[in-house]
Amino acid sequence: MNALSPPGISAAPLLRGENLSRSFGGGGWFGRGRPILAVRGVDLHLARGEALGVVGESGCGKSTLGRLLLNLLPPTSGKVVFEGEALDALPAGKLRALRRRMQMVFQDPYGSLDPRRSVGAQIADGLLIHRMADATGAAARVAELLRQTGLEPAHAMRLPHEFSGGQRQRIAIARALATRPDFIVADEPVSALDVSIQAQIVNLLADLRSELGLALLFISHDLHVVRHLCDRVMVMYLGRVVEQGSAAAIFAAPAHPYTRALLEATPSMRHPVTAAPLPGEVPSVANPPSGCPFRTRCPAAESRCAEAMPPLEAHPADASRQLACWRAAELA
Amino acid sequence: MRRSLRRLVLPAGLLGLILLLALAAPLLPLADPVRQNIAGRLALPSANFWLGQDEYGRDVLSRILWGARVSLSVALAATIIAAVIGTLLGILGGYFRKFVELVTVRLAEVVLCFPPMLLALLVVTLLGPGAGTLVVSLGILFAPAFACLAYAETLSARALDYVTAQQALGAGPGRILLRTLLPNIAPPLIVQFSLTVASAMVLESGLSFLGLGVVPPSPSWGLMIRGARATMEQAPLLLFWPCLALAGTVLVLNLFCDRLRDALDPRAGGGGPAGFLRRAAALPGPALRKDATPGLLRIRGLTLEITGPRGPVAVVRDVGFSVAPGKTLALVGESGSGKTLTGLAVMGLLPGAVRVASGEILYTSRDGATRDLLRLPEAELRALRGRDLSMVFQDPSSSLNPLLRIGSQVAEALPRAPGRMARVVELFRQVGLPDPEGRARAWPHALSGGQRQRVMIAAAIANHPRLLLADEPTTALDVTVQAQILELLAGLKRSEQGMGMVFVTHNLAVVAQIADRVAVMYAGEVVEEGPVAEVFTAPRHPYTAALIAATPEGEAERLSAIPGAVPQAWAMPAGCRFAPRCSEARPACAQTAPPLQSIGPGRATRCLRWKELA
Repeated sequence: MNALSPPGISAAPLLRGENLSRSFGGGGWFGRGRPILAVRGVDLHLARGEALGVVGESGCGKSTLGRLLLNLLPPTSGKVVFEGEALDALPAGKLRALRRRMQMVFQDPYGSLDPRRSVGAQIADGLLIHRMADATGAAARVAELLRQTGLEPAHAMRLPHEFSGGQRQRIAIARALATRPDFIVADEPVSALDVSIQAQIVNLLADLRSELGLALLFISHDLHVVRHLCDRVMVMYLGRVVEQGSAAAIFAAPAHPYTRALLEATPSMRHPVTAAPLPGEVPSVANPPSGCPFRTRCPAAESRCAEAMPPLEAHPADASRQLACWRAAELA
Repeated sequence: MRRSLRRLVLPAGLLGLILLLALAAPLLPLADPVRQNIAGRLALPSANFWLGQDEYGRDVLSRILWGARVSLSVALAATIIAAVIGTLLGILGGYFRKFVELVTVRLAEVVLCFPPMLLALLVVTLLGPGAGTLVVSLGILFAPAFACLAYAETLSARALDYVTAQQALGAGPGRILLRTLLPNIAPPLIVQFSLTVASAMVLESGLSFLGLGVVPPSPSWGLMIRGARATMEQAPLLLFWPCLALAGTVLVLNLFCDRLRDALDPRAGGGGPAGFLRRAAALPGPALRKDATPGLLRIRGLTLEITGPRGPVAVVRDVGFSVAPGKTLALVGESGSGKTLTGLAVMGLLPGAVRVASGEILYTSRDGATRDLLRLPEAELRALRGRDLSMVFQDPSSSLNPLLRIGSQVAEALPRAPGRMARVVELFRQVGLPDPEGRARAWPHALSGGQRQRVMIAAAIANHPRLLLADEPTTALDVTVQAQILELLAGLKRSEQGMGMVFVTHNLAVVAQIADRVAVMYAGEVVEEGPVAEVFTAPRHPYTAALIAATPEGEAERLSAIPGAVPQAWAMPAGCRFAPRCSEARPACAQTAPPLQSIGPGRATRCLRWKELA
């Protein structure tokens, strides 16, 4: 079903998200305002060993989507299917057992580690929770994981504050890898890091992916990093997917006006930005525009764009890509 | 031993002494606390009765120590009950929310609505006086405070990433509550514990004083105060001793719990908050420099120090660069490179711990005179800030006062004159704010991040500054908004004739976009300086080259990372500071610190091997 997968990636999807939506707020005893729709009707699938990049600006719902896929937030509607099992239908115990196989790496390496417990104990948590090892076995595995992520086994005894940001992100990755998961959600894992350290972590993730056959959902606002790491890309704007397809194709010829604007606005050392920047800012999620969410800033918007949300349809010239734009055929 | 543990020794010792005395009271050679001796009524301290005798001639010292057993055990037992029940209710309510929250926390809040003394009186009247009743009623009384505190702390802690990480690992609620949440919400609860023990002791004394607590003749501090009140005028000391015992114990307990909380914080002793920026003391020497060649800004040999545990540490060392009128210099580097401190030093504003050790910052003002900003008295420097020198900070959401309309905030930068608001509107139009008149009356929260940064820029250019310092002005913004702000700054450079700009950033691509010259900083030093195009196409320092290669751009399959991390300020390598991470390092690099040497017109590098590597 997935024509985009590079060779070596199995075609059977490991994970599917079907029509996922999530809203926050609203309702309540006193009906406090309208609900905020953070993610609206997102479909996605991820094959074993595949890396999918999710790209967008603040408020586009990319972080919420990552948490929905791991069922850390229950979806308001839609469902997540992991190897044929719908996560929302699973009893709590079975869901917890399944968590062994799907993990998360967070953006802020300072907030994602418990400041009061040694890093070794935190890396071993997953092993002990899922009874994959006894105390001695866990210690050996922690040492192995620390080595695998470029740290020293002796570091296990230390507390998180004794490490730099890059080292902490390695620890967080080691913790996520401990239970040998099949799928990892990485939510902006390099955004808080310096450029030189960022490259170390991106390379580490790329290596781990090829060594361990991990499927990766890589959430980022940095298009250059996504291009380095991912097979496929999903561009989101205000809770909706506006374009998706193979990373190479989208970066070479972005089709949606938003993807184009995003690529043009990204500063580059080699090609200074020449295009006029996109006007305005991302509208509030609490009060999205009618029709296409991007129409208020879109240089190609027409009157019909305000009427209805364009469906996500195949790219007129390339059936493996999809985009949601009423004017796709004219602009292609 | 850690400092926070050392600080725990004194209060722990005092508390131990109090507890030991109370526990050992039956073993000590004390008089019977309840044996009356009418002959020695209200006697002053003597060899046999060290603190004197009370209104029935009983030994005061003995009664204080025996009373400590009662007071402390009632207060501790009540507080432990309150802490366990309250914390349990609060943490469960905070973690599970919904129905559990309703049952636990809201119930506790109902109890909180009653005045404590009244509630205690009610319970004691219903159950009859006595130490047991007192423990129960005080426990019920103090539990809600723990519940509310634990609830609030749990609410804020459960949203943290490391709690989510535990959920993602598949940990059950029990494990998360006990191993992750409880240790992390403990510090405020410990403080609450000490305060509660203290108030329980005071309340116990109060109830005993009213005759509703401990039943006479059992000694208790409250009863002693009550007894001494009647004879206060004949024997004031009798009132003094139980009060001293009560106040002293409460103080020791507070101190102990405070220090215990510090000792339990693993991050204690590591710096502390950066605090306010303040004017660094002006260096001695004349500020006016007639000999200097005029330019806009010329920094030479700037060294900034902090005082570490082993003497002064240079966080910025021997930094020099210059900015010509109308030009933009980018200060680029990673965290810990000293780029922000260098920018702040120009403004004469530094965090409290940072000191200017040496160097000069020569600035040529509108009158053509060149002054050294590091030696300028504060009054004259203040006259320059906001007029000649202005600054834009990284986080636009925290640099505007949320309680003032943005128009009046920007107007503060302008001299008092009629037509000030018209000038503000004109500035808003210049920085591209939509609906400038309306925006001038808006509150900061009504603006988006990019609009707030436009407001900050409007305030910065209000007086046509000659030098604008922009410290990571686009880092907190989205990519498309960053492009707008960069275009705005580039436009201002053209419209504000002769305005120089120092642009501090970590992003090389932004440098390529905005700057004419670039100074690359690493570990507190400038390692390379030159025109942007030249430096990026032909870097002459291995760090610059490595940084460019590490930037994720282009088609390379693999990013070339720089191994290791930036060294800590107090553990700088002896020779070249980049040598331990440098792929081109030779033994000589580790021995001698290379100087910043000129390698061509307008270019400089701090590398021993630049010629070989070129």
